[in-house]
Amino acid sequence: MKISRRSTKAILFLQQIFILSAFGLLTIQNGNLDFMAIAMGVALCVFNLLQYNILKAAFRHMDRFVLLAAQFLWSVGIIVIYRINPEYAFKQGIILFGSTIVSVIVMLVIRKSHDFGKWNWLFMLLAIALLGSTLILSKTIGGAKNWIDLKIFSFQPSEFAKILFIMGSAYFLSTREKLFSFFPYILFTGICVILLVAAKELGTGLLLCGTFLILFFAATGRIFLTLIGVGVFGVGAYASYHIFSHVRTRVEVWLDPWSSYNDQGYQIVQGLMALASGGLFGVGLGNGMPNVIPASHTDYIFSVIGEEFGILFAAVVIVFYLVFIVRGMLIALNAENIYDALLVFGCTCMLSLQGFIIIGGVIKLIPLTGITLPFISYGGSSLLSSMIQLGIIEGVAIKNGKKEEKELRMMGADVL
Amino acid sequence: MKNQQRFRTNMRFSLGFFVLLFIVLIVYMGYSVIKNGTTWYATPYNPRIANARKNINGGTIYDRNGIALAWSEGTTRKYHQTQSIRRACSHVVGDIYGKTIGAETTFAKYLYGLDSNISVLLDQILSGEEAGGQGQDITLTIDAQLSDYIYKKMDGRRGSVVVLNYRTGEILASVSILTFDPNTVNTDELEESALVDRATMGRYPPGSIMKIVTASAAVDQGLDLTYTCTGSDTIGGQLVTCTKEHGTQNLEEAFVNSCNTYFANLSVKLGGSTLKKQAEKFSFNRTFDYSDITLYRSNFEISSELGDIAWAGIGQYNDLITPMHAALMAATIANNGVMPEPKLLKEVGGSGLSRWSNGKSVKVLSEKTASIIKNMMGKVVQSGTGTSAGISGAAVYGKTGTAEYMEDGEIKNHSWFVGFMNEEHPYALAVLFEGAGYGSAYAAPVAADIFEYLLG
Repeated sequence: MKISRRSTKAILFLQQIFILSAFGLLTIQNGNLDFMAIAMGVALCVFNLLQYNILKAAFRHMDRFVLLAAQFLWSVGIIVIYRINPEYAFKQGIILFGSTIVSVIVMLVIRKSHDFGKWNWLFMLLAIALLGSTLILSKTIGGAKNWIDLKIFSFQPSEFAKILFIMGSAYFLSTREKLFSFFPYILFTGICVILLVAAKELGTGLLLCGTFLILFFAATGRIFLTLIGVGVFGVGAYASYHIFSHVRTRVEVWLDPWSSYNDQGYQIVQGLMALASGGLFGVGLGNGMPNVIPASHTDYIFSVIGEEFGILFAAVVIVFYLVFIVRGMLIALNAENIYDALLVFGCTCMLSLQGFIIIGGVIKLIPLTGITLPFISYGGSSLLSSMIQLGIIEGVAIKNGKKEEKELRMMGADVL
Repeated sequence: MKNQQRFRTNMRFSLGFFVLLFIVLIVYMGYSVIKNGTTWYATPYNPRIANARKNINGGTIYDRNGIALAWSEGTTRKYHQTQSIRRACSHVVGDIYGKTIGAETTFAKYLYGLDSNISVLLDQILSGEEAGGQGQDITLTIDAQLSDYIYKKMDGRRGSVVVLNYRTGEILASVSILTFDPNTVNTDELEESALVDRATMGRYPPGSIMKIVTASAAVDQGLDLTYTCTGSDTIGGQLVTCTKEHGTQNLEEAFVNSCNTYFANLSVKLGGSTLKKQAEKFSFNRTFDYSDITLYRSNFEISSELGDIAWAGIGQYNDLITPMHAALMAATIANNGVMPEPKLLKEVGGSGLSRWSNGKSVKVLSEKTASIIKNMMGKVVQSGTGTSAGISGAAVYGKTGTAEYMEDGEIKNHSWFVGFMNEEHPYALAVLFEGAGYGSAYAAPVAADIFEYLLG
């Protein structure tokens, strides 16, 4: 018996064509030739190709579709970021390179490890410390206090608290049985969310709540308790609507952004106009006006994609986040223990939900909460955090593959 | 973890939840962009339009008879030579500075070729042409000469006149005074409300033209009250007055005489919720999402006070309506109970290929109810409050309105007339003069002139 994997050459080929034609277009954009653009395009192609092939050779059991989905997303990101500001794209490229190394380290660690036992308590404390530190040390960017400036570079602690949160969740939900023993975990989640809301980081708060509820439901299967959780979330949201004026503003602007066009509604309205001017097929790369949209290279990058590539392409981007959740779920289902399964499940939920929250905000389906679009938005903390999550997912996939291979070999199969 | 199988099931369930979430995301995005795209795009705030105007030779805007209302010569935008035509059509045509929402903004997509398809773009790229092409010409449903005629008849009085074809929804004229001159709008010192298109953005109390809605509710309910008017009546502690003692009347007589006390009592009998439902059938409290015009929403509220319901039923209290919506109300009666969608764009490009479609019409009333109200509106012009709107040579239907409002501590009256002509001349109109006085004295005679003109 011979078992081989489906070829992904075609997907890679399409990806390369896409990147090169996009950067080709950017090269001839303004009448004069911008050779930096084509150089950037070639560099990105080579990087993707090498990364894919080296990783495939090093880890035969890596899930290739997850990696390809991530590659597509960050390629779109770098194209759009380059179009907005080439300098940012170079920085993003360097961060991508660095965080690939980090994600490989994560894969190696996850591949070998079991749950971190008592260490998880430390992780949870660290997560709270990270979130708390933003309130004390941070500077305000975009109305939210979520950045710490370390002089050399600034970073967004909540991006890393998210990962610690997933690890803590996986530990608690896989080792505890009795409802009572979940108490520290629930308290931990509550503190995290309150700290986030106080720091005006509503998007991440919402993301944590959503991930918590889904993980709790999947692990415990307690529908009634999950519904109570949804109820508590509703009450909390209602209360924060009344307590925090910044929450109230968000909701009002969501209901009618046009009436406050000149101040709070400006970003949403600009985003909607961008989507509308793009229509189905987009105005074409380089023909839109991303410079009028605040945060067009970070939180609002989706509206630039919509304007220049059209909403059909934007829908394709959304589908790629679905690839994550579907593949992630398959890896989780194959995991050899519940801890690993929850780790993968948590990461995929978080990445997909994060995509949903910001895209939903941009298209005015839900109130806008500032949060980055995973893999696509410009930003070191965000990209690194997404890459670590990718590393976790792949690490578990590799672990599963080894186990399966062992089983298949015992059955006498010839595994390629 | 006791039950691994259970965990797997739950995960699959969560997967289903996520798939659903993302499907909602994609569907909502597609739906909202396709449905609201034009409205989102065509706002004066959109910097893309201003940007396009710098580079692209804008297309010509024609009226329905081929009169050029706006065109580009090089980078300057020119408008019709005659000052009165420029002013009569100023709100419909709009301006290029993003000060108003007219055709210049709403149809910028066509005028500046921003919707050009991929083959046009490829041509541009292959020929090495810089952005700076030629936009498409458009033809509006507007009749510039009729607009000019109306503008002159309005004689500088503040208000608005809307004329539309009630079969097709085509807007033939939409004149609003104050006006502006598109040639000099950027430098002129304008009066405060000169840039407001009163036809679509001016929300006025409807007064007695609201009785069309109230009467239709009574007809639908089969309620024909007999009531004796003594010139005034106190309802729920609020005094409702009439211009005179109308005596004992039924629904039709009260409608023809526009008797306030009768309709106040009728409203209370019908009840607030029935009235509100009927008003909402006529699209009150609704956001209009028309593709060609931006129309502000009309308002109809009720309260638990009987007096408020009585006033709401005769077009006061918090009732508000735009002249365009008032014309649509008359069109609904004329068009067998179906409200047409107002259309402004007749044709795009010189190809003769019409982009014009009938739009979404809304069934408001049954044909039977519509014909009963139509009959009443005929009698209003024959023998009621609207006789001054009558003309010889064609049957005319209508309803007058005199809407009270407070200004500077003084009670003033908006003068309203809504009406329409017979089948052969399928035109409905609304005439409004701000603070002029009785509907029968000011709005109705102008309506007569317009009917006369439309008769040819």
